[in-house]
Amino acid sequence: MVTESKPPRAQWLLLAYRIPREPSTPRIAAWRKLRRLGAAQLLDGLVTLPLDSRNREQFEWLAGEILEANGEATLWVGELASRARERELTARMAAAVASEYEAVIAEAERVRGQPPGSGRRSLARLRRELRRIRARDYFPPPDRERAQQAIDALAEAVEEVTR
Amino acid sequence: MRWATRAHCHVDRAACAWLIRRFIDQEAQFVFVDDPDEIPDDANPFDIGDVELSHHKGECSFEAFLRRYELADPVLWDIAQIVHEADLADERFDAPEAPGLDVLLRGLSMTHADEDLLALASPLFDGLYEYGKRAILLGREPS
Repeated sequence: MVTESKPPRAQWLLLAYRIPREPSTPRIAAWRKLRRLGAAQLLDGLVTLPLDSRNREQFEWLAGEILEANGEATLWVGELASRARERELTARMAAAVASEYEAVIAEAERVRGQPPGSGRRSLARLRRELRRIRARDYFPPPDRERAQQAIDALAEAVEEVTR
Repeated sequence: MRWATRAHCHVDRAACAWLIRRFIDQEAQFVFVDDPDEIPDDANPFDIGDVELSHHKGECSFEAFLRRYELADPVLWDIAQIVHEADLADERFDAPEAPGLDVLLRGLSMTHADEDLLALASPLFDGLYEYGKRAILLGREPS
């Protein structure tokens, strides 16, 4: 008989914050950072990321910058009381990166369809973009592998032209 | 002097520790703490909490050191760009070395305790410094 083992409960970082509306520079900087980290917005002024040492440090720096901009910020560590809610959250975060992978796949296919010669620069750009997305992909969807394949196919096409 | 920083060192703290020992305080001793409350009274804190030698206005702690100690050496500012991108990846600078340095130090932090990590990272930054110095003197990529 197999004992059903539940997956361990994930730990989350929660950043509760408020940034003054003006000046807009710190607001925009914070928004960019949250986007780069792939944080999920739970409510207005409440964002979350899976707990790990890198995310924790990045959120701490962000909290510090918000305080420097005369805002308010508190960093919490917690877990979701409901497993169903946790699944919803991870699915939502996976769906967000999946759509970014989709955009990479579409662009890679578009470039492949174009006349040869222009592909190398686009390939480098798409590889950078893929690396950025992977850095904020905490619950990899199947699209991650497909995006890699689309880039590999484009790389092959570019190499063939050069040969 | 004693210097205190956050435990589990990564690229920014490793670079700062190298900078301290090479340019600021050759006798530097490092203390690693998990929380700003644990910083000893006699230690100079960096890359932790709300202190001067930490992140400010989108800059990393290495940049804060260069400003605070008025280190105008252009090679150090080149290294600062690499450290900034390895730590923050906000694409403020074009530093293609950054993702590689980030992975190297992340890997070392998995296999070594903080004091060992700093000892191992130090010759890496010595090499980066030498490379950057030669690049500036030659006006092209050194080989």
